Amino acid sequence: MSKILGIDLGTTNSAMAIVEVGQPRILENKEGMRTTPSITAIGKNGERYVGITAKRQAVTNPKDTIFSVKRLIGRRFSDAEVQHDKNLLPYEVKEGAHGDVEVKMGDKSYKPAEISAMVLQKLKNDAEDRLGEKITEAIITVPAYFDDAQRKATKDAGEIAGLNVKRVINEPTAAALAYGLDKKKDEKIVVYDFGGGTFDISVLEIGDDTIEVKSTGGDTHLGGDDIDQKIIKYFVEEFKKEHGVDVSKDQLALQRMKDAAEKAKHELSSTMQTEVNVPFLTADASGAKHFNVSFSRAKLEELVGDLIERSLELTKKTVEESGFKMSDINEVVMVGGQTRMPMIVEGVKKLFGKDPHKDINPDEVVALGAAVQGGIMQGEIRDVLLLDVTPLSLGIETLGGVFTKMIEKNTTVPTAKTQIFSTAADNQPSVEIHVLQGERAMAHDNKTLGKFILDGIPPAPRGVPQVEVSFDIDANGILNVKAKDKATNKEQSVRIEGSSGLTDEEKKRMTADAEKFAAEDAKKKEAVEVKNLAETLIYTTEKMIKENGAPDATAGAGKIKEEDKKEINDKIEKLKAELKGDNLEEIKKATEELSKVAQRVGAELYKSGAEPQPTPPNPEQEIPKEDPHEKNPKS
Amino acid sequence: MDEPKNENNNTEVDKLTKCEQEKEEYLNNWKRERADFLNYKKDELKRLEEFVKFANEAVILEIVEILDDLERAAKELNNEGLDQVLKKFQDLLKKHDVERISVDTAFDPLLHEAVEGAEGDKLEEIRAGYKMHGQVVRPARVKITK
Repeated sequence: MSKILGIDLGTTNSAMAIVEVGQPRILENKEGMRTTPSITAIGKNGERYVGITAKRQAVTNPKDTIFSVKRLIGRRFSDAEVQHDKNLLPYEVKEGAHGDVEVKMGDKSYKPAEISAMVLQKLKNDAEDRLGEKITEAIITVPAYFDDAQRKATKDAGEIAGLNVKRVINEPTAAALAYGLDKKKDEKIVVYDFGGGTFDISVLEIGDDTIEVKSTGGDTHLGGDDIDQKIIKYFVEEFKKEHGVDVSKDQLALQRMKDAAEKAKHELSSTMQTEVNVPFLTADASGAKHFNVSFSRAKLEELVGDLIERSLELTKKTVEESGFKMSDINEVVMVGGQTRMPMIVEGVKKLFGKDPHKDINPDEVVALGAAVQGGIMQGEIRDVLLLDVTPLSLGIETLGGVFTKMIEKNTTVPTAKTQIFSTAADNQPSVEIHVLQGERAMAHDNKTLGKFILDGIPPAPRGVPQVEVSFDIDANGILNVKAKDKATNKEQSVRIEGSSGLTDEEKKRMTADAEKFAAEDAKKKEAVEVKNLAETLIYTTEKMIKENGAPDATAGAGKIKEEDKKEINDKIEKLKAELKGDNLEEIKKATEELSKVAQRVGAELYKSGAEPQPTPPNPEQEIPKEDPHEKNPKS
Repeated sequence: MDEPKNENNNTEVDKLTKCEQEKEEYLNNWKRERADFLNYKKDELKRLEEFVKFANEAVILEIVEILDDLERAAKELNNEGLDQVLKKFQDLLKKHDVERISVDTAFDPLLHEAVEGAEGDKLEEIRAGYKMHGQVVRPARVKITK
């Protein structure tokens, strides 16, 4: 079964995606880029360019380079939009034989659908190159406000390109699909799409099997490019203020200002302040002139605030037109690269009183959604959507009350994980397996799912017994936890049903708590780890002395000199004293001191050929005997 | 008496046929899923190789941006020390298989991006372009002149 290609045929850029192993994925074009400029051209020598190559030669060949043809597709020549746009476009736009639109490229006239077909054909060919298989079917997206003629023309474009267009779907619907919102019955969704050249707002309502568009609005001439222009203008003015030179007519200087503006805009999405440096921008009789300005997020917001405000006004208006109240809206989805701007995210959040969805790359979300639609039609998604993920991490409690994760959150089920643990004390006859769920570092801050005891472990020093703990979650979310003593093969297990039986609120709260207490938890965990390490060291050094230091010991008797023995014992006493308190730094220091002496003495033992100290067990993997909250496990 | 038995037999046969069909379907789905997964792993490996090969790309692009400014400075200041610094940068790029795109050729939109001029067949380099492992990572910006 060949793949269905999901295509976001954009005004400025296009993108394509496929579903692979149940997940949508963007396909890169031949040039290795994730988006392709929706531009075609006929060069001076008659060769045809599509995509980035067409864009790169546009300046030298404006009359035969066709871009933004989406503004013309399926329209009548007499449409007000066409009459408006034709004055802005550098290529020839004329009336066709049937009152439709034609554009001239080279010495031929083309219907807009034929131009779009060239872009689609490039996408198809590049996808086939990437995948090594033929692509014959596609889902293509269009703006929600497209009428039948525009949809039909888009479908024609696909067919001219050799694609069987399985469906033409709305861009906001695709975005909602990419976020899996189609499953949220009766929800009302707003899709805020601030692209490079257009701003679209759509209100959707999820029905039983359909996603209905309730209203659309926006501004077909408002986009990220307008924001760039405002920044460039500001930079040019600042430069003139400082150096008295106007670079607004100097194409090459302007180009560098444009690069700097784009870079600054991107940087200010993650920082509050950026340094703009354009050295050797221009020169006059007095020498080279450099542009240098400190540009803050506040300044950027001041420059473009009116554009953002306008988009928010249009959003409000469109929601009103849908007949819903702002408070009726359940979800907001962000589309278009410009929505990375924090001011936009904040504005939208304030308007609706909720965080918008913005996890999926806003430049790619529509193409991904188109691929999802293709996947649904092929049945590929339906099968895989049955696979759930664990909403929270699962694990057990280990020495010192630490929560040791076995299965991380967001792991797709069914899944299984096995890890070997050991005992925390000498001759410990049993271990308690305390199964927990949550994201916090300490066991008692998480939710207990079950407990059981594995007993009958033969007497052995701490760290020696091997207890194999396995977690297994089946496709129905039922968790089986099993512990097995590898020496005796004795095992115990517990079956926990509905381990994800948490409400959405609980999950959210637990995840939020984990974030809130992250620093505090890390401190607590460190405290336990420092103490565990200290106790392990005391245990191993005491053992070393017992085996090699006592005058009547059998193996390696008296190998440790009396003065060393005394020094070690002193250090052990000091560390034990520190362990009674909670001063971590002092404990660390005392541990370090004991470790140094122990290592030196250990090395001497090696040289003398005596039995060296055993490898200290890993304290994190020790399970204490029954009482998990006990700090010092009993021997 | 026979009739109901037949009916029973029929439902049993129906059930069995249905079970067999389901088994076939599940087995096929499982095989498909396995195959998809193995193919996905192969693709992922290829992507990873590519990723590792171009992992430095972002840093290289930032370096060449600073190199642009250094070159402008070198042109302006005519300083031997600065020329040496430039040389070191160029050697660094060479070491990472980054090669400057020539402008002594006809305009080729696969390699060049025109920023000015229309007529003519000569190219003037406005901003250097670079290839990494043979792939264009930044096209050369050129002015087309006669």
